[in-house]
Amino acid sequence: MRHLGRTLAVSALPVLCLLALAALIQTFAEPFQVRLAYAFFMNLVLALGLQVFMGNSGVVSFGHLGFMGVASYAVAILTIPVALKATMIPDAPFGLAGVELSPLVAALIAFALVLVLAFLSGFLVSRLSGAAAEIFTLALLVIAYVVFTAWIDLTRGQRSLYGIPVTSGLGFAAAVACVSVVVARLFRDSDLGLQLRASSEDTLAARAMGVHIGRLRHIAWVISALIVGAAGVLHATYLGAIGPNSFYFSQTFLVMAMIILGGMRSVSGTILGVLAISVGNEIARTLESGPVVLGVDLPEMFGLTGFFLGAVIVATMIWRRDGILGDIEFETLFRRRKAPSKGGEA
Amino acid sequence: MTEYILQQMVNALAVGSEYALLALGLAIVYSIVNLVNFAHGELITVSGYALFFSAAVWVQNPWLLIALAVLCSTLAAAALERVAFRSIRNASLNTGMLTAFGVSIIIQNVFVIFVATRPRAVQTPAFLAEIVTIGGLRFPVLQVVETLTTAVAILALVVLLRSTTIGLAMRAAARDFTTVRLMGVRANRVIQVAFLISGLLAGIAAVFIFSRRGAVDPFMGFVPVLKAFVACVIGGLGSLPGAVLGGLLLGMFEVFLQVVLPADAAAYRDAIAFSVVGLVLVLYPQGLLGKRVELGDKEA
Repeated sequence: MRHLGRTLAVSALPVLCLLALAALIQTFAEPFQVRLAYAFFMNLVLALGLQVFMGNSGVVSFGHLGFMGVASYAVAILTIPVALKATMIPDAPFGLAGVELSPLVAALIAFALVLVLAFLSGFLVSRLSGAAAEIFTLALLVIAYVVFTAWIDLTRGQRSLYGIPVTSGLGFAAAVACVSVVVARLFRDSDLGLQLRASSEDTLAARAMGVHIGRLRHIAWVISALIVGAAGVLHATYLGAIGPNSFYFSQTFLVMAMIILGGMRSVSGTILGVLAISVGNEIARTLESGPVVLGVDLPEMFGLTGFFLGAVIVATMIWRRDGILGDIEFETLFRRRKAPSKGGEA
Repeated sequence: MTEYILQQMVNALAVGSEYALLALGLAIVYSIVNLVNFAHGELITVSGYALFFSAAVWVQNPWLLIALAVLCSTLAAAALERVAFRSIRNASLNTGMLTAFGVSIIIQNVFVIFVATRPRAVQTPAFLAEIVTIGGLRFPVLQVVETLTTAVAILALVVLLRSTTIGLAMRAAARDFTTVRLMGVRANRVIQVAFLISGLLAGIAAVFIFSRRGAVDPFMGFVPVLKAFVACVIGGLGSLPGAVLGGLLLGMFEVFLQVVLPADAAAYRDAIAFSVVGLVLVLYPQGLLGKRVELGDKEA
């Protein structure tokens, strides 16, 4: 924790910007814009969670949305009023149909559940590397999705669970996002984070230096799962209704595009990517419905948002493989460049 | 009872063959360019729309339809290589895989934009839907033909790899591409042929997939390629015999679960299958037939 002070100092800039953005939107914006901003902060938390694992270990994970789903479903099932549960999921196992907790307690239980699941699955993930690790995380996502859709007594399957008390707001989401930024930066700058990043660049050299890669991956996996779980709590407590399809491949690819575009190896890159994709996605969604732009009536084009996401991923991979920021953070951008070879053009 | 078991075994072989064909296509590309081509599934979709559109412009002959479908997916595979994958050729595994995901999302949404999200009915030759009687037992023609076709395709591939110059170049490229190029073999040619073969195999698999499903929609390629990828990793990524073995095992295991699981557990079939896949990976990280590579080995 030698870098604690420095890390807190350099995280101040993005944190203050995010808080200012939230305050501006909360004060001046229309309700639908507040909803968009909420989605932005939620996706930011999700992306930061993914960044902690993928960005530091270099292993692509498709499985994290499963943790988000677990947290969302846990909060939903624990907070929905008993009367409503009697009609939706009367046969819930473990007597859950008769349980109604406050959102805070429910969120804590959700975190505990994610912690246990991540800790257990982490033993297996940390044993694997390369394609085997990636297919394993993919298997985790499929397993989670199948459980969400097939355990009808508990989750209502494909139909959504509704009636979750709406207790979250933009300010809370922004606060969670800021905490996530700090946690992600703390991990990245810590000795553990540095060793893990080293192992992703040269496994052999890192191992020769005595880096315990498996253990580091396990730690990163658990931390990132908890952050992703926080996104799940934000999801359930704002929307009030959840369904299994929010925790599957389409959402995974959305977040993937975000961290790829910005540069998953830096926290700042992740923030930038989430911002860029959120804005771009909204523009694509507007164009999709066939608006009138400058007097020209555009045709409806469903599929444009998806096309946009795919194009962003491919374009980034072809022209700027490490994302916009690569592995540099905001503060480096403002520092005077000493040598152009190590500077902005990563 | 024996009849039922035999029928289910043929069924298992047929499903396994479908996965094996797709997995083989993934493996042959991976073995040469280290690319996990997730856009492979979209080749099936391309075949499907080829069947749909050529039937719409009154191509009546079923054989001609099949040939067109297979041709389209083969050409589409080569086109993908040229347009998207050539520019990331020497990149890391992750870059390749994410690019392929991106390409797959683009193709899916191009179909959404220009065709529609709704499934479209696709015609395949009528004889595939019939029942054949072998030794007093009744089997669907589709399953028998699928298994036999896969066997023939694998044999043809073995012959190609073993007794032609390009096959030799491909086998060598899988081990050491640089040396192959030093021998004067054109890299682009070897890679193009690998993609053509993968497209051809996907096209063949597509014909059977559509005989079973009867309809095509933009997102249908994802599940088959997911299964094929799993099959590849189980068998050992990049190993061609591994891909066939993995495909057969996965298909048979799925049919086995379908037969054995009680009705109320049937919904969990994929979860059980993927749990077993995860377990296999933890026990055999290199896959069943993959080479065991130590960190720092020259030939990785």
